[in-house]
Amino acid sequence: MINIKSLLIIFFIVFANFSALSDDSDKVTTTSSDFETTYNEDEIFDPIEPINRVIFGFNNIADKIILEPAAKGYRKLPSPIQSGINNFLSNLRAPLVIVNQLLQGQGKNAAETTGRFVVNTTAGVLGLVDVADKIGLEEKEEDYGQTLAIWGVGDGFYVVLPIFGPSNLRDSAGLFLTYATDPFNAYAVSEDEGWIVPIRTTINALDRRSKIIDEVNALRNNSVDYYAAVRSSYYQNRKAAILNIDDSELTPLPLISVEFE
Amino acid sequence: MNFLYKILLIFLLNTTPLLADEASDWLKKKIDTILDAYKDTSISKVDRFNLIEDSINNNFAGTGISKFVAGKSWSSASKEVKKEYVKLFKKHLALNIASLMQGYSDQEYELVNAKYDEKNKVSMIDMKIHNDTGNLLVTWRVKKSKDRYFVIDLIVADISLVVTKRSEFNSMLKKVDQKLSELNDILRSQNESSYSIIIN
Repeated sequence: MINIKSLLIIFFIVFANFSALSDDSDKVTTTSSDFETTYNEDEIFDPIEPINRVIFGFNNIADKIILEPAAKGYRKLPSPIQSGINNFLSNLRAPLVIVNQLLQGQGKNAAETTGRFVVNTTAGVLGLVDVADKIGLEEKEEDYGQTLAIWGVGDGFYVVLPIFGPSNLRDSAGLFLTYATDPFNAYAVSEDEGWIVPIRTTINALDRRSKIIDEVNALRNNSVDYYAAVRSSYYQNRKAAILNIDDSELTPLPLISVEFE
Repeated sequence: MNFLYKILLIFLLNTTPLLADEASDWLKKKIDTILDAYKDTSISKVDRFNLIEDSINNNFAGTGISKFVAGKSWSSASKEVKKEYVKLFKKHLALNIASLMQGYSDQEYELVNAKYDEKNKVSMIDMKIHNDTGNLLVTWRVKKSKDRYFVIDLIVADISLVVTKRSEFNSMLKKVDQKLSELNDILRSQNESSYSIIIN
C-alpha cells in the first residue's frame, strides 16, 4: 500500500503539470466563420495520438475477443443476479463516492450516499439489494477525476490506457487515487487477499460493458473514425459527469438549421 | 406595462409545455414506426432498413446536420461534392440510427419528460428505455420549421450523436487535407460496410 506521503508527492506533481497543460487543452481554436452554426467545439488536446491509436487498436481487439463475448455471456445471467452484482459493486464504491462528494463540498449528497450505504449494507444484505433507491435515496457517482476537475485541474492531454481505455491525465491520476485509497482494496491487501482487487475490477468492467453492448456496436460498426468517436464520447460523458447535469441540459449543443430540409 | 408583462408570462407558461407535448406526440409516432419495423418479422431485412431509412430521412434534419458535421470543409467544397456528401451523410445517419434503434427494439420505452427551450426554439424529449437490469435515458432534440418537426440531435447517456459525428468527421477531414471529395470516398465505403452488417 502506498503511504500518504508518496501519494501527496504524486498528487502535487500531477496537479502542477495539469495546471500548466490546462490552458492548451481548454483552448478553442475554431472561429465563427468556420461553421455555419452557433456551436463552436473545443479541440481535444491529443498530442500523443499515434501512440494512443496503437493502444486503442489493442484494446479494441481485446474487447472484441474477450470483453464483449464475456459481457454477452454475463447478460444472459438471470436479471436478479445481474442486478445483485451491480448493486453489490456499487455499494463497495460508496465510501469513495462519499469522500469525493465531501471534497467537492456536496454535503447533502454525501449525507444521502452515507444513508444509501448504511441502508443497503444492512437491509440490502451487504448491498445486493438497492433498498435505498426504493426509499428515495438516489445513487450518485463522484470520483477523484471529477473532484480534481472541480478543484480547477485541467484535463491534461487525452490518453488511452491499456485495458482501462479512454482517459486523460487528470482522470488517470484520479483512477490511480481510487485504487490507492479504496478501503475495501486496502483491507483485502492487508489480509493477504490481494487477488480480490483484479477480480473486482474485472467483474466491474464486465458489468459496465454488458450495459452498453448495443451502443458500442452501433458506434464501432458505423464510424468513419472509431477512435475519434470514442474520444469525443469520452469527453462529452465526463463533461456531463463533472458538471452534474442531465442530458437535456448539456450546453452548448449545436443548433442545427432546419431551413434546408 | 406590468399588466402586459404578466399576460405575456401567462401566455408563455401555458404555451411552452404544449409545444413540447405536441413534439413529444409527434416523436412517439416516429419512434414507434421504427421499432415496429424491427418487431415485424414478416418483412425482409432490406425492406426493413429501407422503411427505417425513409422514416429517418423524412424526420431528421439530415442536410443541416451534415453541414454542421462537415465543419470548415463545407465552404470550400464544390456544389456537386456537397450534394454527393449530403446524400452519403443521410445514408450514414440512417445506418447509425437504425443500428442503435435495433438494440432497443425488444425493450419497453416511455417518453418521460418534454421540455421546450424557448430561447433556442428546441424541444428536448427524454425517452426512458427499460430493461431488466436498469434504465437508459435517451434525449431527442426536436425543432419545428414550417409546421413540420425535425430531429436535430439524439443524446444517449450524455453523448450527442451530432457532436460525436462532427468530432469523428473532423478527425478524418484532417487526414485528407479538409477535402470533402475524399471524405465522400471514405463515407461511401463505410456506408457499404455498415449496410452489409445491418442487412445480414
